[in-house]
Amino acid sequence: MDAALLAALGAIVGDDGLIGDAVRRKPYECDGLTFHKRAPDLVLLPENTEQTVHCMRLLCEAGVPVVPRGAGTGLAGGATPLEGGVVVGTARMRRVLEVDVVDRFARVEAGLVNLDLSRACATHGLFYAPDPSSQMACTIGGNVANNSGGPHCFKYGATTRHILGLKIVTPEGEVLDLSEPEVDPTGYDLVGLFVGSEGMFGLATEITTRLVPLPEVTETLLAVFPSLEACCDSVTEIIAARLEPSAIEILDRMTIQAVEASVYAAGYPEQAEAVLLLESEGSAAEVGENVADMRAILVRHGVLEERRARDEHERARLWAGRKGAFGAMGRIAPDLYVADVVVPRTKLRELVLASTRIAHARGLTISNVFHAGDGNLHPNISYDRRDADEVERVLDAGREIMKLCVAAGGSLSGEHGIGLEKREEMELVFDPPSLERMLRVRSAWDRDGRMNPGKLIPVRVCMELRTPPPAPISKARG
Amino acid sequence: MDPATIVETASTLDCIHCGLCLRTCPTYRLTGIESAGPRGRIHLMRAVAEGELDAGADFAEEMNACLLCRHCESVCPSGIRMGAMMEFTRGGLEAGGGRPWWSRLARWAGFRVLLPSRRLLGLVAALLRLAQKTGAVRLAPLLLGRRGAAAPSLPAVPPASERVPLPARTAAVGEPRGRVSVLHGCVMPVLFGRVNRSTVRVLAAAGLEVRSPTRAGCCGSLHAHNGDLAAARALARKTIAAHEGITDLSGAMAPIVVNSAGCGSHMKEYGELLSDDAEWHERARSFAARVVDFSEHLAACPDEFLDAALAGRSAALAGPVVWDDPCHLCHGQGVRAQPRSLLDRIAGIERVELAESESCCGSAGIYSLLRPEASAAILDERLSALAASGARTLVTANPGCQLQWQTGVRRAGLDVEVLHLAEALDRALADGTPSAP
Repeated sequence: MDAALLAALGAIVGDDGLIGDAVRRKPYECDGLTFHKRAPDLVLLPENTEQTVHCMRLLCEAGVPVVPRGAGTGLAGGATPLEGGVVVGTARMRRVLEVDVVDRFARVEAGLVNLDLSRACATHGLFYAPDPSSQMACTIGGNVANNSGGPHCFKYGATTRHILGLKIVTPEGEVLDLSEPEVDPTGYDLVGLFVGSEGMFGLATEITTRLVPLPEVTETLLAVFPSLEACCDSVTEIIAARLEPSAIEILDRMTIQAVEASVYAAGYPEQAEAVLLLESEGSAAEVGENVADMRAILVRHGVLEERRARDEHERARLWAGRKGAFGAMGRIAPDLYVADVVVPRTKLRELVLASTRIAHARGLTISNVFHAGDGNLHPNISYDRRDADEVERVLDAGREIMKLCVAAGGSLSGEHGIGLEKREEMELVFDPPSLERMLRVRSAWDRDGRMNPGKLIPVRVCMELRTPPPAPISKARG
Repeated sequence: MDPATIVETASTLDCIHCGLCLRTCPTYRLTGIESAGPRGRIHLMRAVAEGELDAGADFAEEMNACLLCRHCESVCPSGIRMGAMMEFTRGGLEAGGGRPWWSRLARWAGFRVLLPSRRLLGLVAALLRLAQKTGAVRLAPLLLGRRGAAAPSLPAVPPASERVPLPARTAAVGEPRGRVSVLHGCVMPVLFGRVNRSTVRVLAAAGLEVRSPTRAGCCGSLHAHNGDLAAARALARKTIAAHEGITDLSGAMAPIVVNSAGCGSHMKEYGELLSDDAEWHERARSFAARVVDFSEHLAACPDEFLDAALAGRSAALAGPVVWDDPCHLCHGQGVRAQPRSLLDRIAGIERVELAESESCCGSAGIYSLLRPEASAAILDERLSALAASGARTLVTANPGCQLQWQTGVRRAGLDVEVLHLAEALDRALADGTPSAP
């Protein structure tokens, strides 16, 4: 990298904010998806919007690719600098700037850890609803980039429902200040467009989020099942009966055993074939009725045992087990491929079993832990990235599972984003005109395609569009 | 250098890259840099093991910047053993050389000469006290430049009357119901003789006869944390031998009570430290099984003894009182509830929780001496939490933490007394037990 540019960037962020040596750059070569690695040429950690603006201007002039990064907990390779360039991280921007208790919103810096936002407003009886499993590490900025979900998004909706405003630094280094909380966006909903843009439109430095009142009563149930099938069927019936729990999660036997061996041991019975974690929130009367209705369904499907969290501590323990599940799979193999497909909830059982067959047919180890209520499956395939043949089989299985779920009326991603992992499969879901339209939206934000290049849009589509074809507007799917 | 001497490859494979550790890591919080967090450090270790990275000076710097607080172990779903991995890597790096001569000399003098010798530690303490009393300690930065900068901030050495060793035997108050062996430690008798004496008094008040073998000194934990594994093993053998003959009233081996969290955590892992030593491995394992933290052993005492011992003066502790979890007690030994339950036994105590009480205070053995700036910055965040708690007394259980908090409280101008758990309980002892000198 050009010495004059380095010096100029260093003058902006200071010695502590510029990482140039090979050793310290190396860990930025991937995020939670570890099979494709490429180290950036430089990492910058600005401390505020102003520093970010100055850095982005210089990087724009120099024509250098920029890859935004939060905590690097993403599972789709969204923060991997595929073409090198500069990683701009938000790890030193993590202040809570404002909590408005009356209007129920918070303004925070992008690098704030998700859980710290809920902690900051708990004393006011409020919380930030989207709760990805990685919430003790992932950042609000990263959640915005991927439109992240979480167990409680079944009731509250994913990140996009909770973002009221953004302060965005554009690829050219201009500030787009949309940070005033907009309850009902006027004109084009730029904030809505930016959420889920996977770092390809710019870099959000400040985020205005909705805050939700803590529920009056919360009931958490752990239901133990003799089979994964029965567990899935009871979820399908709960949904069909139009019951409104706030979260419905399923863990299968292998996941249970990994969790129980870890510091997050939650007391899930290790011999169970599957457990269902159910939560209901609201007034005492609502919750009471809701839980009674759900329990009747569980019984019909042959539940072996039901446990109720008696207090906050027990509830926290049950959830910690669920949220530590991905990491606990490190006990099975050094690497984990977490698929993130969505399926119609009437087909839960069918597709869970089919995913398992696909993995087993390729000699792979598969486990399941998923947001059943949303139909958001996470078939988890354990592997060792040092085994090239196994990596190929994992990728192949992943593709097959995606194809199958899309064919069944589902989609590619529930919450992890497309990133690098599911880029080519975008063609399964979108026809060429839709993808072209996406590319044009991207060009409107980032003319040169310098922001997080190589993500989300299939390579073939990108190549074709570099020689602009006539682009008729046709009926788009999505 | 052979990567296998620097990194245990198999341990690095446990990390699945989920990142749940990041927020807990003091150096990641301080810098925001991935390689300053547990996941990044393991990533670098694995890169060395797989031949992608040279274990050069930049790598060594990232490894040495870790506090070894092991907070990441408490949150890692995959069960990473960061403490053991880091000790192995530092050991390999030290064995591979690469330090300038003056650094090697200082390490040799500190680890091989000073810490293992009680006599020399006593002498240095006496000289340091003299320098502190006369003000000569302030000259060190002028004479030694940057390397002497830490001298004025060295802990104040108490008078000689406080630096006397523990008696070899102390009788239980009343009919003895058990016998324990207490670790003297290396810097404990020099800087915290009063804590050692409080420890013995409280144990005696709870009906225990206390032995303190004078042959045992430094347990070697600082050596292991800082990559001198050979010296750590030698000190471990010495410590094991010194405590081996002491039996309980029933004739079984007596528990070894440790009042310094860092030492206790290390001694509980002697079995692994000496796993390659055919002669000592079994002895080390059975020794390790006897090691208990002071709070662990006391909290397990029958209620009637504790109630009888701790029914005394409550006003001796200014409230509110907070408990600060020493890293090597909560993360290293999994001891969290016992100290709290003991404090709650003190009549009339007003105890509140300190926010993020399991976060490192930045002391981390000799880290505060090696990297004073980072250590102070890490402490600053903890001091804000202490101020927000409104506490007037902070209780902890490790000499390094106690010094660090004392320094911080003074610097921040807070009106908070910093005590070891044994001192806090000693003040609450019922009348009729011997009181502090």
